[in-house]
Amino acid sequence: MNLRGTLPTLILEAIEREPNHGYSIAQRIKKRSRGVLDFKEGTLYPALHKLENEGLVTSYEGAEKGRPRRYYRITEAGLAVLANDRAEWRKVSGAVNLILGEA
Amino acid sequence: MTNLKMENSAALEAWLKQATHHLSAASVSKVRTEIQEHYESALEYAQGGGATAEEADCAAVAALGDAKAASRQYRKVLLTSGEARLLREASWEIRAVCSRPWLRWLFLIPVAGLCAGIAFTEHGETQTGWLLLLGMAGLSLLLAAPFLPIYTPARGRLFRCVRWAWLVAVLALACGPNFLAQSWMFFVLAWPIAWVEWTQISLRRKLPVAEWPKQLYL
Repeated sequence: MNLRGTLPTLILEAIEREPNHGYSIAQRIKKRSRGVLDFKEGTLYPALHKLENEGLVTSYEGAEKGRPRRYYRITEAGLAVLANDRAEWRKVSGAVNLILGEA
Repeated sequence: MTNLKMENSAALEAWLKQATHHLSAASVSKVRTEIQEHYESALEYAQGGGATAEEADCAAVAALGDAKAASRQYRKVLLTSGEARLLREASWEIRAVCSRPWLRWLFLIPVAGLCAGIAFTEHGETQTGWLLLLGMAGLSLLLAAPFLPIYTPARGRLFRCVRWAWLVAVLALACGPNFLAQSWMFFVLAWPIAWVEWTQISLRRKLPVAEWPKQLYL
């Protein structure tokens, strides 16, 4: 399924509860959508950099199993954007359901 | 088996080379590090699931997707080599101006121009007088810009608005009633400024405000 435009929101959701590194974020999105939302992992990092430039996430050096990993953490501004995106998505998907559900 | 593994590693190198095309050295280093970390995690996960080293290698590179598409997206969010060069050169210019106090004597040019403008106005040549006054006032602003306390995005926006308004006003005054007929002149003169402005918009999007050098505010 095409993720165009929704990837930043899905990334924010993936790090909402705890900081995570890129690979783990990608796997979390795929797993939570039961494989429906599949995307090329090379496009994940440009989206993360964009979110970082916009101040919605911050990153720091961490380690996993002794190997260095860059972890991404959601900011207060990121949480506000995520809440807004969630509300908008519910509104839009509810409207589409009203239309398609009738068919 | 070893040959196949080497071929796949070459595939990752080829992917990285294509994805980082046109990026600055610092951006290339950043992308290489993050993709290498991602690749290692993918290999480990696949091998943990029972895949052979070759299969894991193939799957990890394939999962990254089209390198050209990634390159396009990276260029939108990370500094390109051209932008990094522009930043370096502009930083050098600002440092050069600020570290040479004698350059402040250049302010005498607009001051002389302002005096000439007043003289013209008093002698009845109103249009020439006002043109000189407005032109030299703007020039003073441009020369003073590196020394002004413009270090917040809002002040930067205000400064840029004033600069554009000044440019339009000077041209309107210079052309008089024929301004619209001679508006091509505005586009010709404003083109270099618009190009620099466009590049700076791109840079402002790519760098967090905390990392903006002085010239990005101007």
